Amino acid sequence: MDDIYKEIILEHYQNPNHRGKIEAERNVGNANKRSSNVSLRSKVYVAGEVNMTCGDSLKIFAKIINDKIVDAKFEGGGCAISMAAVDMLLDKVIGMKLSDVKKMSGAEIEKMMGVELTPSRKKCAYLGLEVLKKL
Amino acid sequence: MKNYKNLFPIFKNNPDLHYLDSTATSLKPQVVLDKMMDYYINYSANIHRGLYPISERATEEYEKVREKTAKFIGAKKSGEIIFTSGATDSINLVANGWGENNLKEGDEIVVSIAEHHSNFVPWQELAKKRKLVFQISDLSFSEKITKNTKLLAINHVSNVLGTINDIKSIIKKARTINPDICVVVDGAQAVAHISVNVTDLDCDFYCFSGHKMYGPTGVGVLYGKVDRLVQMNPVRFGGGMIKTVDLHNSTWADTPEKFEAGTPPIGEVIGLGVAIDFINEIGMENIMVHEKELIEYLFGKLKGIKWINILGLQNLVKLSERIGVVSMYSNDKRVGTSHDMADILGRKFNVAVRAGHHCAMPLHTKFGIKTGTVRASLGIYNDKNDIDELIKGLKHFYKIFNS
Ligand SMILES: Cc1ncc(COP(=O)(O)O)c(C=O)c1O
Repeated sequence: MDDIYKEIILEHYQNPNHRGKIEAERNVGNANKRSSNVSLRSKVYVAGEVNMTCGDSLKIFAKIINDKIVDAKFEGGGCAISMAAVDMLLDKVIGMKLSDVKKMSGAEIEKMMGVELTPSRKKCAYLGLEVLKKL
Repeated sequence: MKNYKNLFPIFKNNPDLHYLDSTATSLKPQVVLDKMMDYYINYSANIHRGLYPISERATEEYEKVREKTAKFIGAKKSGEIIFTSGATDSINLVANGWGENNLKEGDEIVVSIAEHHSNFVPWQELAKKRKLVFQISDLSFSEKITKNTKLLAINHVSNVLGTINDIKSIIKKARTINPDICVVVDGAQAVAHISVNVTDLDCDFYCFSGHKMYGPTGVGVLYGKVDRLVQMNPVRFGGGMIKTVDLHNSTWADTPEKFEAGTPPIGEVIGLGVAIDFINEIGMENIMVHEKELIEYLFGKLKGIKWINILGLQNLVKLSERIGVVSMYSNDKRVGTSHDMADILGRKFNVAVRAGHHCAMPLHTKFGIKTGTVRASLGIYNDKNDIDELIKGLKHFYKIFNS
């Protein structure tokens, strides 16, 4: 068994929990710019990123009520590390405050995955967090 | 099979390295490094107009390489050889120096879908700037050429497919449609693997890098026909490229100095000269025989792996019409992408391959490949063991995702 391609990572890659899409209830945008009178309503935010050179593309949909992520899904394609990392990350962040998610570091991603990555693979693993930080 | 590994010091320091990334850059033989070191420790003076012995010597060595390069690619005169920093720099020089000066609004230019970004983006940008009609030809290369096509940019050998294009007949055909068409050939992947004769090809410009032909990084070549160089303006200005400078105007030195502003990469040019000697001494025939045997071996092995697809294989040509470059991808959805494959090959097997689009996104898009391919490419130092390790690594990769 490979030290990076551990069973848990392969499992998230091949059988992800959060693949899919959440239909927007209203138009999407930056969560920080919500006006106060809609802040208690749930809204669906979308953010994405493409890394053209390695072919990774990722779109995350997050349903947020009052800063809390109540549901999240992702679409896109990419290497096993980037896709498994997103799926594991969504497992972790559903239920969390978006403002706390935005404080997360890359090191926490590696800890979550239980692997140590080479510099080029760190980029793959951090893709999901980068996108969440854009929400 | 002859073993050439001992000529490359990197294998003394990395005995288990299976280097299959010569398309990105080739490894350097000891002779090239020795000659560069010789320049740096014995006569590392600037060239031109130094009246002391070591500067005279540096100038002489530098200019000798120009002659050697001309002979190497069959140019008629050494004045047709301009030293640049690499193939990318050479192509940009043609786009900005020749294109800017000779193309006008409405002119058509044709670029092939299989170009490296270096031979694609400069033309795309030029077309926008000068309002040219930017046409993209398919792998047949000539179908978009009309009598209004002023320029054709094509690769001699594809860095993704490894296919050798029949440049001579493509050019001949193009010239029957427009006799004055300017043909720019990207030879970055050709010069280390096949014999090149620019006079016989009848191209207007020919571009390549030193570092992909067993030479150092930082140096490249632009060949231009004399008539075309006359039509080209310098795009970099400064020392070494002028004849006279007064307070308001300057005049230019003759070609090729006109296009070599500033101190050139002297040590690297001298290194390139030895890389040419190195290729000549082994003999292009022998290089081709060596690589052909490996290509056949590699393709034979890959054909036995059902989950591997080879990019563009169906469009392609016999093994004799390609160099040792193969771009592959998995057709099994459960396994990882090219990144995963290259990562496992590198970390677990010390097999150096490249993953991604290899600077040829339009071509990958044409084939519907989103997450890239893994490219393995061969050089003179490779042997069957390198290929066996690649195959072992690929099988291991597949097993990881299917256990
Ligand atoms: C076909 C082709 N053209 C141009 C280039 C650019 O060469 P360089 O990066 O040395 O300028 C490459 C390098 O990968 C290439 O393969």
